[in-house]
Amino acid sequence: MARLTLDDVTKVYTDEGGGDIVAVEEISLDIDDGEFLVLVGPSGCGKSTTLRMMAGLETVTEGELRLEDRVLNGVSAQDRDIAMVFQSYALYPHKSVRGNMSFGLEESTDLPDDEIRQRVEETTDMLGISDLLDRKPGQLSGGQQQRVALGRAIVRDPEVFLMDEPLSNLDAKLRAEMRTELQRLQGELGVTTVYVTHDQTEAMTMGDRVAVLDDGELQQVGTPLDCYHRPNNLFVAGFIGEPSMNFFDGSLSGDTFRGDGFDYPLSGATRDQLGGASGLTLGIRPEDVTVGERRSGQRTFDAEVVVVEPQGNENTVHLRFVDGDEGTQFTATTTGQSRVEAGDRTTVSFPEDAIHLFDGETGDALKNRELPSNRAIDAFVSN
Amino acid sequence: MSQSSSTGSFDVASLVEDVNLRRVAQYALVVFFLGFFLVPLETGIMTAIKTNESVARSLPFAPPVGEGFTLGNIQFALEQLSGSFFNSLIMSIPATIGSVLFGSMAAYGLTMVNWRAQMGMLMLFVVGVFVPYQAVLVPLARFWNNIFPLARMLEPMVASIPFFQGYHAELVPLVITHIAYGIPICTILFRSYYQSLPNSLVEAGKIDGASITKIYRRVILPISKPMFGVVFIYQFTQIYNEFLFAFTLVTGSDAPAAPVTLVLPAIGASTSGIDFGIRMSAAFLAAVPTLILYVAFAEQFAKGLRTEA
Amino acid sequence: MGQIRLTDLTKRFGDTVAVDDLSLDIDDEEFLVLVGPSGCGKSTTLRMLAGLETPTSGDIYIGGDHMNYRVPQNRDIAMVFQDYALYPHMTVRQNIRFGLEEEEGYTSEERDERVVEVAETLGIADLLDRKPDELSGGQQQRVALGRAIVRDPEVFLMDEPLSNLDAKLRAEMRTELQNLQDQLAVTTVYVTHNQTEAMTMADRIAVMDDGELQQVASPFECYHEPNNLFVAEFIGEPMINLIRGTRSESTFVGEHFSYPLDADVLESVGGREDLVLGIRPEDIEVVDATTDDTAADDALGDHELRMDVTVVEPHGDQNVLHLSHPDQPSADDALQAVTAGMHLVTRGDRVTVTIPPDKIHVFDAETGTAVHNRRHDQEADFTQLEQ
Repeated sequence: MARLTLDDVTKVYTDEGGGDIVAVEEISLDIDDGEFLVLVGPSGCGKSTTLRMMAGLETVTEGELRLEDRVLNGVSAQDRDIAMVFQSYALYPHKSVRGNMSFGLEESTDLPDDEIRQRVEETTDMLGISDLLDRKPGQLSGGQQQRVALGRAIVRDPEVFLMDEPLSNLDAKLRAEMRTELQRLQGELGVTTVYVTHDQTEAMTMGDRVAVLDDGELQQVGTPLDCYHRPNNLFVAGFIGEPSMNFFDGSLSGDTFRGDGFDYPLSGATRDQLGGASGLTLGIRPEDVTVGERRSGQRTFDAEVVVVEPQGNENTVHLRFVDGDEGTQFTATTTGQSRVEAGDRTTVSFPEDAIHLFDGETGDALKNRELPSNRAIDAFVSN
Repeated sequence: MSQSSSTGSFDVASLVEDVNLRRVAQYALVVFFLGFFLVPLETGIMTAIKTNESVARSLPFAPPVGEGFTLGNIQFALEQLSGSFFNSLIMSIPATIGSVLFGSMAAYGLTMVNWRAQMGMLMLFVVGVFVPYQAVLVPLARFWNNIFPLARMLEPMVASIPFFQGYHAELVPLVITHIAYGIPICTILFRSYYQSLPNSLVEAGKIDGASITKIYRRVILPISKPMFGVVFIYQFTQIYNEFLFAFTLVTGSDAPAAPVTLVLPAIGASTSGIDFGIRMSAAFLAAVPTLILYVAFAEQFAKGLRTEA
Repeated sequence: MGQIRLTDLTKRFGDTVAVDDLSLDIDDEEFLVLVGPSGCGKSTTLRMLAGLETPTSGDIYIGGDHMNYRVPQNRDIAMVFQDYALYPHMTVRQNIRFGLEEEEGYTSEERDERVVEVAETLGIADLLDRKPDELSGGQQQRVALGRAIVRDPEVFLMDEPLSNLDAKLRAEMRTELQNLQDQLAVTTVYVTHNQTEAMTMADRIAVMDDGELQQVASPFECYHEPNNLFVAEFIGEPMINLIRGTRSESTFVGEHFSYPLDADVLESVGGREDLVLGIRPEDIEVVDATTDDTAADDALGDHELRMDVTVVEPHGDQNVLHLSHPDQPSADDALQAVTAGMHLVTRGDRVTVTIPPDKIHVFDAETGTAVHNRRHDQEADFTQLEQ
């Protein structure tokens, strides 16, 4: 069993001037046996530092790190039964693929040579790199090197896999393929995995659960769809989802949200959820913004198309309110077949069940999108 | 074992906890090697400040006691060497600057610019590093004395410069020789540094419209500062401490233009034998310029080594 | 003017042909993206345009002038490098000013003014006195852009400028770059391996593979009317589904299913036997199977089949499903399909999949050329606009 627990883990560095830099602040996480957890956040949010503390490459300043019941805080990296895949792969350049993959087993176990050889060959079969066993890293492509790095971790049959942005050095296409493959592999092997990335697409598609970090603090832990449909705060809402959620700052005036260039009436039910907040941020995801359909009503506004980004299967349309500031733009997603062009005038609608409302000061979510009541969906969304 | 943040109080228990046999052995080894390298140095200093009787009677590394202590050796050595210090410095500094600068330019041209026959040129430079001093001594002497007597030609001009005497012109061929001899090794050193720089810097400069020379002057030269520190220290030490060329071209410790390396062997020698006290003092005094240089450029040196690695 | 013409451009490195007989016309003010996998020759082509590599054969014209033998300094181009190549010992101000020093027609004060002007356009005016190592990745990238813009060249060349940025920053910069290029109206040649960048930013895309040009067309055309298998596979995320098979009379026979072909498709296919059927993931319709009784397979329509869901990738706004045939649950997925974000499926579910006949692409299996591309009605799905 390999349950990994972080209990108020904190990491503090001292900088050159003698001041303290808090890289990671009181993070508590419970990672289940066999779970694929993704640590995601922008550069400098502390995700890599957290991973390195799990690996034993950084010391824990405060708090406790446990694997099952075993406290890992003072345990050296070699003794943790953890395998890591580095962003730069860190393959031994002078060793062959076979040598690279056998090294860990030779150093940390008493296994006889035949068994090591067998394990290596099994793993290379699984990864589809059996014909590369006698090559050196310098003779391999990026994708192949990445598989070797993976294989090196897998062959040690550890309790936990740690992966530090392993896909970021790959071509876009290769990255998409490896994403699926990594997921499949992890499903088969059933090893607890902690995966660090700055790419929210990787987080969404690969994780059983996602832990969003910003500036050393944990913002939210939940299933990908949970973070997507029920973000805890403005940061998570803006970070998860591509293209990003649209945000409009404004204030509450009676039952109306007054934004820049538009007024948005709120129903009583929505109004009740806001508490005493007066400064608000309204959020709506681009795919929920309906463009151009002949609707009238209080939640439909005149807009002008600024830029259209064709993706093939869909278009990302950048618009601005006709009555609003020129600088305030928002995006909507339309089907790939629609022929909207820059400069066109059209209407946009923001359905009330799709909007999110956040406290203008704290950023906390006050009202999230209403999901159609469907037990199957609820099962996906809630942990 | 939990990690505690520093509280400022001294924890004896944890100190004792950290002591183990391996640590003790490590420290013992360090102390031993420290001694191994420093004892000769210390001995030299001690000898320099002892009288002759004291040198004969006491242990080499023991400090002088009472009457055994004297600064007379140092004073004497200083008087003897003062002229040659001047000679050494006015020879070494231009020679070092010259070889380092030309080396850097050559490395730039061979590494960061692309042109035909580059590799051939580079091979010539590499070969130049391996030419032994001894092999060129005779041709060198012949060249500077018979074929192109630059020293004699420059004598009147040099004499007219304030602080200089006519005989200092003898140092000019020496400077030129050192520059020429030093260029290959400086080029090689700079080349490895330039190879580690991204080519895109030069490319960006080209696209920005700068000529190759301007790119060197405005982009590459300023970034080479750490490397300059390293190569300068290395070259200066080589040139300052060099004996053979100096001996060949300036001939003799009694020549007024003699640099320090020529004078040193003669110091303290007399019919009654060698005066060690004077010798040691002279040796240390001679080492002072190099020492000052190291101290002044220490940070650059370390940075430069780091960059190379 | 900044129009570019490449005629039969070839570059050889020893025995390797990096760029093979490339001919391309780029209009003035156009944003052309050169896209393709690593090693396809796109960077080499860009460097030849810059003058950092000399062509082995062929010609390069910028603004009508023959450029083959001109050094980069004399080409009136500006370049943004992947690693930005900022001069590390100079401040931002000096970095941007450097290129201006060689430009004629400016006094020193005018140069200073121009630097500030450009810095303000890019939002980095407050960073002017900092050194590159004090800046974040995104800021460094803007300085690199500023250095290019300040010279007001005829052509911008960009070599994967966004690849070192965080995913979110990349998406923001994409839009900003596009806006900027629109404003400045300068011919831009942009190299990337990322097809999303190509699709969203380009006026036209030039797809390259192994040194050869595969297709030059608008993003829309490359997506919906690919010339060949390579373009169809490269453009589009998730990748197009490709099914190999043979034609038997008027039916396409794959390994696990048969698919009757429409009359117009058959006409384009002609006598070909070995075919590849292509269908984009978002065009596949997925419906939950109400029963997994195999007898019900008879109830399947001509263009329907049963499949099992092996992997589900939730993206929030949509889901990508990996599907395989019930009788062949191998590790290789047979199809990928995209469903709406709210349409949720679980791994292991059995679903009914429809491949609409008007949305298929057909390729010649031997040559890879597209024989039939999907129909897209210009007028259908037209978003109603109020003028």
